Amino acid sequence: MLRRLLDRILPPRVFEERPEPTAVFEASRPPVVRLERIVKRFGAVTANRDITLDIHAGRILALLGENGAGKSTLMSILSGRYHPDEGRILVDGEPTRFSSSRDAIRAGIGMVYQHFMLVPTMTVAQNVLLGQEGGFLLAPRAMEARVDALAQRYGLEIRASARVAELSMGERQRVEILRLLARNSRVLIFDEPTAVLTEPEAGKLFDALRRMASQEKAIVFISHKLEEVLSIADEIAILRRGAVVDRMPRTDVSSKSELAERMVGRGIALQMGREPAARGEVVLELEGLSGNGLEDLSLDVRRGEIVAVVGVAGNGQKQLVETVTGLVPPEEGVVRILGREWRDFYAQPRWEETLAYIPEDRLGLATCPELDMVDNVLLTTRQGFSRGVFLERGRAAQTTTRLVEEHNVQPARPRTQAGKLSGGNLQKLVIAREFFRRPKIIVAEQPTQGLDIAATEEVWKSLLAARQGAGILLVTGDLTEALELADRVAVMYRGRFIDVIATDDEERLASLGLLMAGVKE
Amino acid sequence: MRLYAIRRQEPLKWGSCLVFPAALAFSLAFCCLLLAIQGKPPLTGLASLFAGAFGSHHALQDTLLKAVPIFLCALGVAVAFRMQIWNIGAEGQYALGAVGATWAALAFPDAPRPVLIPLMLLSGGLAGGMWALIPALLKVRLRVNEIISTLMLNYIGINFLDWLVYGAWKDPASFGFPMTARFSPSALFPRLPGTRLHLGLALCALAGVAVWLWLSRTRLGYEVKAAGSGPRASVYARMDYGFLVCLVMAVCGVLAGTAGLTETVASAGRLQPSIMAGYGYTAIVVAWLARLNPLSIAVAAFLLAGLRVGVENLQLSLQVPAAFGGILEGCILLSVLAGQFVTGFRFRVERDEGRAETEGAA
Repeated sequence: MLRRLLDRILPPRVFEERPEPTAVFEASRPPVVRLERIVKRFGAVTANRDITLDIHAGRILALLGENGAGKSTLMSILSGRYHPDEGRILVDGEPTRFSSSRDAIRAGIGMVYQHFMLVPTMTVAQNVLLGQEGGFLLAPRAMEARVDALAQRYGLEIRASARVAELSMGERQRVEILRLLARNSRVLIFDEPTAVLTEPEAGKLFDALRRMASQEKAIVFISHKLEEVLSIADEIAILRRGAVVDRMPRTDVSSKSELAERMVGRGIALQMGREPAARGEVVLELEGLSGNGLEDLSLDVRRGEIVAVVGVAGNGQKQLVETVTGLVPPEEGVVRILGREWRDFYAQPRWEETLAYIPEDRLGLATCPELDMVDNVLLTTRQGFSRGVFLERGRAAQTTTRLVEEHNVQPARPRTQAGKLSGGNLQKLVIAREFFRRPKIIVAEQPTQGLDIAATEEVWKSLLAARQGAGILLVTGDLTEALELADRVAVMYRGRFIDVIATDDEERLASLGLLMAGVKE
Repeated sequence: MRLYAIRRQEPLKWGSCLVFPAALAFSLAFCCLLLAIQGKPPLTGLASLFAGAFGSHHALQDTLLKAVPIFLCALGVAVAFRMQIWNIGAEGQYALGAVGATWAALAFPDAPRPVLIPLMLLSGGLAGGMWALIPALLKVRLRVNEIISTLMLNYIGINFLDWLVYGAWKDPASFGFPMTARFSPSALFPRLPGTRLHLGLALCALAGVAVWLWLSRTRLGYEVKAAGSGPRASVYARMDYGFLVCLVMAVCGVLAGTAGLTETVASAGRLQPSIMAGYGYTAIVVAWLARLNPLSIAVAAFLLAGLRVGVENLQLSLQVPAAFGGILEGCILLSVLAGQFVTGFRFRVERDEGRAETEGAA
């Protein structure tokens, strides 16, 4: 039922279908690059297991997989950042060993990372030709002419004399691509290239990708977005838990849902089976909260319910969370937490009546990466382990051991540094810590972002269970999550709640997609 | 042939025990080389360095006494560094501590010792602490980088001290030398009978234990550590980051100020510019060498104090320049830092032939 609902809410984005592959594929032609039985381990975790993959000139290969499936590791091996523990890389049939990304670039393999590595104060041409200016003296005109010619050839619209600092994300990405093309890269790897782009920019990128492929470049396109993969790929390889589980030409895939099932290995939507919980007292009250990018927000959250705040990122969710969690005082309007005024609540925190905040930034905000689990548990619970001015570290260590066991945090060694935990385990540790104080109100911000399905399920179960004793404000960009967990959904648009809808009201839920775009009929 | 450096998951446990002696040995070897270049006998030089620092009762006492201000300053610096506040202003805080203590000694010359010494400790510590609070407040309120402000305040503090001893506080009977009048006997530290060891050593022990207890056992100490490793996380956990910055800076100022006071009272018995011997900078080296651990700070402070005392002996016996000690100090720090890098990595050498072989086999 949920899947049907989701399809109704978010009609699949229409990308133009590709009429035919960009280049005629000859199976007899040897691949430019072949990865052979690649294995990569990080400690106990195997990120890539026995991966064999061919990359052909003139073809767009999409590498599809969820977060943590091993896509980025594989491509980091290909681009020379990591060594494989086993297996080898063949370039033009020759076994090759890259000891740095420089070697990989020399072999014609380049990667466009999600985070651009450009010098903002320099021009496009300078960035593109950085490190290969030739002689001692620079000839800015000649450099710009060269970059302009290159840009034109591949349809990458950009002004070579512009400063990078002035460019949009899409334009910066083009600079990154040009940089690889200027080094005669034959294999271009794109790590989730559309994540930072607007839709028109993504369209332009796809045009450029096709053009590059038609000029005999091999393109590897990493993504977890199904529509994109369907609209751009000639060939699709699916990674799951570090292994290539499926590989097929684009023409063999008939629908998005078919691809989704192959990617996840089972139906996407987890059925959480939400037990109804008794509603209790109001734990959070917003009345006309305004200022700091927010506009006239009013909302009640009661114990026993989960209210999801959804919307396109950047519509005031961050400011709302900062205000409710006490980091930023409200400018106008009233915020009442557990019946107390905002100022009063945060001026005199009590150990018993408390608010728990599970932030989006697990490693920088919720934990200190260099401290061990015990110290990280103490971060927000230190009040409970204080005796006079002293801290009862022994008791804190025991409690941490218990929490780690209860919440299945791996590795279960409390002396492990937080920074060494995987995203899912770190989140479980944060949740264990935050729930330890039995909070009456919980603010959870993107609680499952970047987690694999198993960890997502555990986090969801924890949140549903916590609802018995608390009211939960769930801020999420993931509609599936919102509909699975929440009793009501508040849609945020430009700092306001454009609508608040109960999740059993299918009629009105159907307009969620439009509401998120700011359209209210 | 290629050398690969691979980051270790956890740094070597025994590494730090090995790194320090190795770095020390390397630095001493380097020092021998320097002596040899100047045409001095290197081994005689080392022997004279060692004899000057630890060779006799007299030398050992000298070293211990020099270690007192270094230890106090380094302890303070380590507290600030623990929170990743890069306070390099111990030198200035030390100067202000000396000034504060001198004020008490000159203002109440007739007070009995049990009153005057605590009063001097109070005024010296307070002056150092307040001096350190200036950059702390600048950082918290105006986001001024503490590295710059503490460094600049050093010059101001030292010049302030000079201004006092050249002007307002100059002893009329000093024949124009920049120094205050001799303190009254009740302002001087009691000494262990038969030795020159004084109250300062006891202060060191007290301060060391107190700081250790504070940082490792108390809630506030934990907050300092947490705020140091994650300033944003500390705000998330509702710690008062600004208060913690002021606290660690003030503690550092009090400790450095106490060091200034000890040196004024115990070694000179009056305020004079020669007490500014760069202990506040040596303290930074000591704090790093000891990885901010109070007990290791004591050891490192003793060793570097020995170096300073020993170099004086070396100067006399072999006529090497005074800068020699500074060179050696810097060399030790650099080699220890390099050594700590080594413990964080695994090294593997691969020969090119070996590589060709595996490829041939595959």
